[in-house]
Amino acid sequence: LLSPQPPNAGYRMAAPRMADPHPLFDDTSAAGGGGGGGRPTGPGLRGSASQPVSSLAVVYGSSLASQGRDIVGCNLDRLIPVGRLKYYFAVDTIYVGRKLGLLIFSFVHQDWQVRYQQDTPVAPRFDINAPDLYIPVMAFVTYILIAGLALGTQNRFSPDSLGLQASSALAWLIVEVLAVLLSLYLVTINTDLTTIDLIAFAGYKYVGMIIGLVFRLLFSRTGYYVVLSWCCLSIFMIRTLRLKLLSEAAAEGVLVRGAKNQLRMYLTMAVATAQPLFMYWLTYHLLR
Amino acid sequence: MAFTLYSLLQAALLIVNAIAVLHEERFLRHVGWGSDQGIGGFGEEPGIKAQLTNLIRSVRTVMRAAISARHFQSILPSRTDSV
Repeated sequence: LLSPQPPNAGYRMAAPRMADPHPLFDDTSAAGGGGGGGRPTGPGLRGSASQPVSSLAVVYGSSLASQGRDIVGCNLDRLIPVGRLKYYFAVDTIYVGRKLGLLIFSFVHQDWQVRYQQDTPVAPRFDINAPDLYIPVMAFVTYILIAGLALGTQNRFSPDSLGLQASSALAWLIVEVLAVLLSLYLVTINTDLTTIDLIAFAGYKYVGMIIGLVFRLLFSRTGYYVVLSWCCLSIFMIRTLRLKLLSEAAAEGVLVRGAKNQLRMYLTMAVATAQPLFMYWLTYHLLR
Repeated sequence: MAFTLYSLLQAALLIVNAIAVLHEERFLRHVGWGSDQGIGGFGEEPGIKAQLTNLIRSVRTVMRAAISARHFQSILPSRTDSV
C-alpha cells in the first residue's frame, strides 16, 4: 500500500494542476497540502521532504516575478500615464456608433460641451463629446489595411509597403500634433487640451480617409473627391476647438476684438483647414 | 511616400541644431530677438516674439550638452580610424 504513494506524491508535485485521481483533494495551494488530508503520514512525510524546498522555490520565484512586474510598472508609469490612457479607452458600442455618426454628419449635433463631473471629464462612455483613443487607433489600423488593399489592386503591393505606410502616417500624425502644441505654446493659450486629446483629434481624420478610400475603390475618382470634401472634419474641428481654445465670450458667438482672440481664431481655422489637406495628402498617392 | 519615422527624427535633429546655432550676441541682438531685450512687462501676457525668444534660448541651453556629446561621439571614431 505504501509503495505506490510516493510516485503519486511525486507526480502531484510535478504537475499540481493535473486531474487528481482522488477528486477530494483538489490541489490549489502551492504546498500541495491538500493531498495530504486523508493520507497516512508515512509517505506524506517522505513526500514532504521535497515539499518545503519546492514550495520555497515557488514562493521565491513568484515574489521575484511580482517584484519585476512592480519595477516595470513603476518605470512604465513614468513614461506613459497608463491611468490616463485607460480613460480614453472607456468606450462602448453605442458611443462608437454615435461618435462615428457625429464625425460624418457634424452639422446635426447641437451641444458640443464636454460634461464634467467634479472637475474631471466624464468618461467617453457617457458623453459623446469627450475625445477617445479607441476610434483613432482602430481607424489607423484599418487605414493601413485598406492602403494595402488599394496598393494591391494596382499591383504595387509588397509586405514592407504596409510598414512604410504605417510609419509614414504615424510620422505625419506626430508632425501635426507637434505643430499644434508649438502654436499653442507660442500663442500662450491656457487650455485644458492635453497631448492625448490632440492625438485623439488628429486621429479622427483617419475615419474620413477610410471612407474616401473605400468610395474611391468602389466608385470613380469624383466620388472620392466628393466624399473627402464631405467627410473632412472641418466642422467637427471648428466646433470642438472653439469651446476649448477661444475665450468664453468668443465661444458664444459674441464678436470680441483684440489681437489675442484673433490669434486664437486663426489657430482654430488653421487646424480645421489642415485636416482635409492632410487627408488628401495621405491618400492620393495610394490611388493614382 | 517614403516619409518614415527615421527621417522625421533626422529632420527634428537638424531643426534643433539650426535653432541651437543662432548665436545670441552676433546675430539675435541685431535682429532684436536677444534674450534681454525688453521682454514685456511682468503683468501682461508675453507676445509671440517673447515666446519665440524664450524658446530659442531654452533650446540652446538644453541642447548644448546633448549636441556637444553628439559631436564628441561623431569625431572620436574618425580619429581612431586614422591611427
